[in-house]
Amino acid sequence: MTSQSFPIAKDNDGKSIFKFLVSELKPKGKWLTPFNIISIPIILLGIGLIVIRYMEGLGAITNLTQDVPWGLWIGFDVVTGVAFAGGAYVVTFMVYILNMKKYHSIVRVTVLNGFLAYAFYTGALLLDLGRPWNVVNPVIGNNFGTSSVLFLVAWHFLLYMLAELIEFSPAIAEWLGSRKAKRILSGMTLGAVIFGITLSTLHQSGLGALYLMAKDKIHPLWYSEFIPVLFFVSSIFAGLSMVIFEGSISHKVFSDQISHTNHKKQNSIVHGLSKICAVTMFAYFCLQFLVFIHAQRWDLINTPMGYWFLVEMIGFVLIPMMLFFYSYRTSNIFTIRLAAILTMIGIVMNRLNVTVIGFRWDAAVPYIPSWMEIVVTLAVIFTEIWIFRWVINRMPVLRESPEWAREEK
Amino acid sequence: MEGFTYHNIFETKGLEYVAIAIFFVILIPFWKILNRKVTVVRQVQKSPGILSASSLRIPQGLFFSRYHTWAHLERSGFAKVGLDDLLMQITGEVKLQRIKPLGDRIVKGDLLAEITHKGKLLKVFSPISGQIVEANSELADSPGLLNEDPYVKGWMYKIKPSSWVADTNSYFMAEDATQWAMQELERFKDFLGASLGKYSPQPANLIMQDGGELRDQPLSDLPVEVWQDFQQDFLDKKSIRGNENCFLNKK
Repeated sequence: MTSQSFPIAKDNDGKSIFKFLVSELKPKGKWLTPFNIISIPIILLGIGLIVIRYMEGLGAITNLTQDVPWGLWIGFDVVTGVAFAGGAYVVTFMVYILNMKKYHSIVRVTVLNGFLAYAFYTGALLLDLGRPWNVVNPVIGNNFGTSSVLFLVAWHFLLYMLAELIEFSPAIAEWLGSRKAKRILSGMTLGAVIFGITLSTLHQSGLGALYLMAKDKIHPLWYSEFIPVLFFVSSIFAGLSMVIFEGSISHKVFSDQISHTNHKKQNSIVHGLSKICAVTMFAYFCLQFLVFIHAQRWDLINTPMGYWFLVEMIGFVLIPMMLFFYSYRTSNIFTIRLAAILTMIGIVMNRLNVTVIGFRWDAAVPYIPSWMEIVVTLAVIFTEIWIFRWVINRMPVLRESPEWAREEK
Repeated sequence: MEGFTYHNIFETKGLEYVAIAIFFVILIPFWKILNRKVTVVRQVQKSPGILSASSLRIPQGLFFSRYHTWAHLERSGFAKVGLDDLLMQITGEVKLQRIKPLGDRIVKGDLLAEITHKGKLLKVFSPISGQIVEANSELADSPGLLNEDPYVKGWMYKIKPSSWVADTNSYFMAEDATQWAMQELERFKDFLGASLGKYSPQPANLIMQDGGELRDQPLSDLPVEVWQDFQQDFLDKKSIRGNENCFLNKK
């Protein structure tokens, strides 16, 4: 259906793959944006600190001790980052399994976000390992370590990253202009989605299960044998809040990429997600409350940590839940975004309360992350955003697939 | 009843059962209120997925023809022509097939291009006479521009006009264009009722007359017969000749 003057346009314009890749590696657009000015020095500083960490050891730049061996890098990068990446399995479940087509336009960006989050935040795990080269042992079988929860986490992360890469790969094939690859990879999507959802439900809770071992170290208000369930349930609305938040930013920053129809759909997508958040947060709050009375922690409430617990539960679970509920009823997109931000703060608080703040809360010398740990964490996040931006600007993630790919559907 | 003892309900986790029961009781109104029809009356006009007069983009400085095309004379003396937003919102995403090669002379009302959607086709006629000097090459890479930005990035041809004043003196501009677009939208609602009734096995003319709104891209999923009718009623020269007096206010 194409006339002479209207040829099929491939993304790579007929260049050889190598030349095309080289040309795509070059930066596009302006250099001196506010984001670049802030992020470049932090990334460079972060790289420097990472070099020092590998030369001098963990003690050189972190405040970790034998007593508190896991700090900000695990608690924030890995545990919190993975919770926020939960949006990918929720959205793919909605679109491919429940066939809710309305959300199709956000699948690619969510999966990309999830994939990068896993790649970077589990990558950050390597920074925290005393002997990072041993990380391959559970995979190659040198020492499976099947009795450890980390065995489960390691395999799940590895397989899940592969599943997300396959889910995302049709976009890469479209970018490279390869019809054949696109056909094969698209055929694998559904399998990867089902596999990915199974893995997600297991490892979101698996991360919580890691902390079951630290019963005596975690403050009793946050420790319970139900941490895995709580982690899993909260990952649903954590991921969706991230999708709402990230979507609002992407629609501003990358507005030139998004088609008129998808722009119009965005509000209705956000509106739909707010309902799911309200319901899952209701369930989560209910679970937290049950866990609380099950463990009979009434007497702990009237302590400083107890007040902190109430701030988390009421200020950042109950209130955003009611806000989601209210703004869904009144279709107020602004308050939905506000609720998403509150929820995300709540998730950060919850994960840090389990892994950092409530972890050895009674230590003689409490752990406070060093500024260098914070810089490295920021550097990891900024690098991820850089890669995210690079991909969005080149591959058909937010924008429509090229003509030839749509015709094959 | 020997050996029977009452247990303290609070020791037997009774409190947890009570809490679960309370949450289920709260869940009922929570779920019911959440699923009640959402109150969006105030936003209906602007909300996505509805084609209404307020969602139409009508730049006030272009000449709009009854062919659902527009023309704009630039400082260089060349005129850009394109498709109007109403047509694009009615058809949804379409692909453009170029008919006229560069350099060709064209007369107002000649076939200018064809737009297709899933094998269904509409012919578009030129709003002005002249010589084609340029075609918008960006449309090849992103045909979506026709819908997204029909008046700036989504232009079709640049034409060197040969009789601009005569061609455009019956066209709509400014408030006339807005008024005309409203009328066309109303006419389209009637058309849809009639045309659907003709081809659908069930009587389908149930929406607009009682104040319903059109959904976005109403034509996109309708059968080819409705497209043919639309061509006849809205784009063909015949239908246009019947209504030659264009300036509504000057009647």
